[in-house]
Amino acid sequence: MVTAYQPRIIGFLCNWCSYAGADLAGTSRISYPGNIRIIRVPCSARVDPLFIVKAFQYGADGVLVAGCHPGDCHYSEGNYHTRRRLALLRSFLDFTGIERERVRLEWVSASEGRRWSQVVTDFTAQVAALGPRVK
Amino acid sequence: MLFFSEKSLTAWLNHLMLDRTVLAPVRGTNDLVYFQSIASSEAVSVGSQNAALSPKDWFFPRSEAIMSFVTKDGKTQVIPATMEKDAVIFGVRPCDARAISLIDRPFRAEPVDALYQERRNRTTLVGIACVTVCQECFCTSMGSGPFDAKALDIMLTPVDSGFAVEVVTDKGKRLLEKAIVQDRELTLPKPPEVKTVPSAGVTEAMRRIFNNVYWDRVADRCIHCNICSFVCPCCYCFDVRDYKGKDKIERVRSWESCESALFTRAAGGHNPRPSKGARMRQRFAHKLLYFPDIFGELKCTGCGRCVKNCPVNIDIREIIHDVQKLARE
Amino acid sequence: MSQPIRDKARELLQTGKVNCVIGYERATDGITARPLFVYDVRDVDRLIFDRTCVHNLSRYLRDRRDKMTAIVAKPCDARAINMLLNEQQLDRQKLFIIGVVCQGVNERCWGQTDTRQQVRCQWCRQHVPPVYDFLVGEKPADEPPPAGFPDIEEFEKKSPAERRAFWEEQYRACIRCNACRHSCPGCYCQECFAENLDPAWVGIRIAPAESQIWNLVRAFHLSGRCVDCGACEQACPVNIPLMLLNRKLQKDGIKFFGFEPGLSAEAVPPFATFKKDESPGGEG
Repeated sequence: MVTAYQPRIIGFLCNWCSYAGADLAGTSRISYPGNIRIIRVPCSARVDPLFIVKAFQYGADGVLVAGCHPGDCHYSEGNYHTRRRLALLRSFLDFTGIERERVRLEWVSASEGRRWSQVVTDFTAQVAALGPRVK
Repeated sequence: MLFFSEKSLTAWLNHLMLDRTVLAPVRGTNDLVYFQSIASSEAVSVGSQNAALSPKDWFFPRSEAIMSFVTKDGKTQVIPATMEKDAVIFGVRPCDARAISLIDRPFRAEPVDALYQERRNRTTLVGIACVTVCQECFCTSMGSGPFDAKALDIMLTPVDSGFAVEVVTDKGKRLLEKAIVQDRELTLPKPPEVKTVPSAGVTEAMRRIFNNVYWDRVADRCIHCNICSFVCPCCYCFDVRDYKGKDKIERVRSWESCESALFTRAAGGHNPRPSKGARMRQRFAHKLLYFPDIFGELKCTGCGRCVKNCPVNIDIREIIHDVQKLARE
Repeated sequence: MSQPIRDKARELLQTGKVNCVIGYERATDGITARPLFVYDVRDVDRLIFDRTCVHNLSRYLRDRRDKMTAIVAKPCDARAINMLLNEQQLDRQKLFIIGVVCQGVNERCWGQTDTRQQVRCQWCRQHVPPVYDFLVGEKPADEPPPAGFPDIEEFEKKSPAERRAFWEEQYRACIRCNACRHSCPGCYCQECFAENLDPAWVGIRIAPAESQIWNLVRAFHLSGRCVDCGACEQACPVNIPLMLLNRKLQKDGIKFFGFEPGLSAEAVPPFATFKKDESPGGEG
């Protein structure tokens, strides 16, 4: 029996919005692919680009960073910085052969349980289509 | 004299590859020549320049897990690194061979570095004499020379359509058992002229000017990278750390350099060599003073790699000149 | 070029305005150059300036931050000084910048006369340093063209698999000598992320996976700060094309944030600010 390739995805979720949103998906019994492993951070701005590169080194095929919608950051401005940082990082990693589609930044609020499951389903399919990062 | 034709040399190398690891100079990344394991004699690139990194990498790798610790069923096993096959390093220049014999002095003294010892015992060195000289070479001032075969097992000297073969050790003789070597009348080329450096008496000169402010002045431009120690065929500073993997812990030993600012920093923050000048002096004192005091030889073989690669041109030949001059004042 | 530098250095040392002039002198191959620290007026005639003077001397300034120092600075080196001033790493009052008009410098290869111009110089944005106290050389009549990155655009044409294979070969070549870090004026952290013990982000293992983290993250830590001086690539003993990584980040820095590092000491760098409504780099 041949099993389809299952990508390994790491998610960095900000505590106040996206983690709560993912939690809501869980309590609402909305299912989504289990390839993602979630790491809770206080704010999406806590995500050092170093973490993302390390995640790839350790075997991740895709990395998802989720934060509050711009304007709604619990710490006022964090996500604006995340937005700049991730934009540059995606372009840079793509240049080095780590496709930009393997890194995604999404805004998910605490009430967006359904949206969270949609995002993860989409992203998992996208990363699966790219194949394993290390062939 | 014994003679290898190009054809019989190639055949011999191909034969050795069957049951040994054969390392030879190969043109690699970014057009530099490195000693690498070869699967075909066609890869060999013996030009007029020496390889970018010396073959010390084989005996004292830039980074390796010297041992691993695996815990299973409550019992911990210590698994040392092992050497898979016997090895041959082909195309070793006299300066690099002598450098290995210098590293032997601390590594093969008690307590013996077992891994290094095994590799040395099971590796045969096949050298090539230098018929041309690079700008940066000064081997004759450092106990060696372009045709110096002392630290090799076999020495090949380029002659018309082949190589003259000198069997230096029994180990070398055994390696040639299946080789097709002819006996011929050969005219060996003359060894080329190598620039000299006033190395005689430099140890005493270093001792005399130990506290001179000269070291601070040279250190002004040093950027404390690790290049000199890494490209040097006889430098052997290292660091050891344990890293936890998925189901084992590895004890990793990697190259380090006395030049780097944190090299001598101890837990608690104390650093006996905090100043640039102290670190600069250390490098040359180790090579020209401490090592000769302990082992009776200068720890430099005149390969010139540090001269060529130092980003700010700290040139050991110039240092030796300056040290001798200052010691006379 | 060399004589006006010597004369100025002599004047600065004799009047006691500075106690050190950092410039260049001829190296031991008689061809390339190397940094020179002049403390004594008798040594000023060793100072030179020509196309072999590739080093970015501003990396020496932080250690002399409290002492009056003069420095010979090409436009790229002066950009680095602006970057360091912006980051509060230098005291402008303690600096005397001998700016040099530059038309480009060559690749540094000890012992070789035949070296071509550094790739970055072809698209250099300034021939005149953006900050100086004294200028050596004739200001050129025309302004240089705006920033161009044909080398990056060319590389971007490769497929992801080709790019991956290219960089994986380079990570394997890296021996982690850290010369790139030590020759860079922007790399001045007392303890580099690579030296961190827990977590051991990089560690001491010299192997491709670790070297990948090292090279990628070092470049990224310089985004918005790298002034394109090329010191890292010149220092690298295994010829890794580090400027490809750095210039890619410069290109994106201009495209996404309209920011060129080092043009002024006051401009706010891109990661220290943001716009509430922006979509840097677009979507996807």
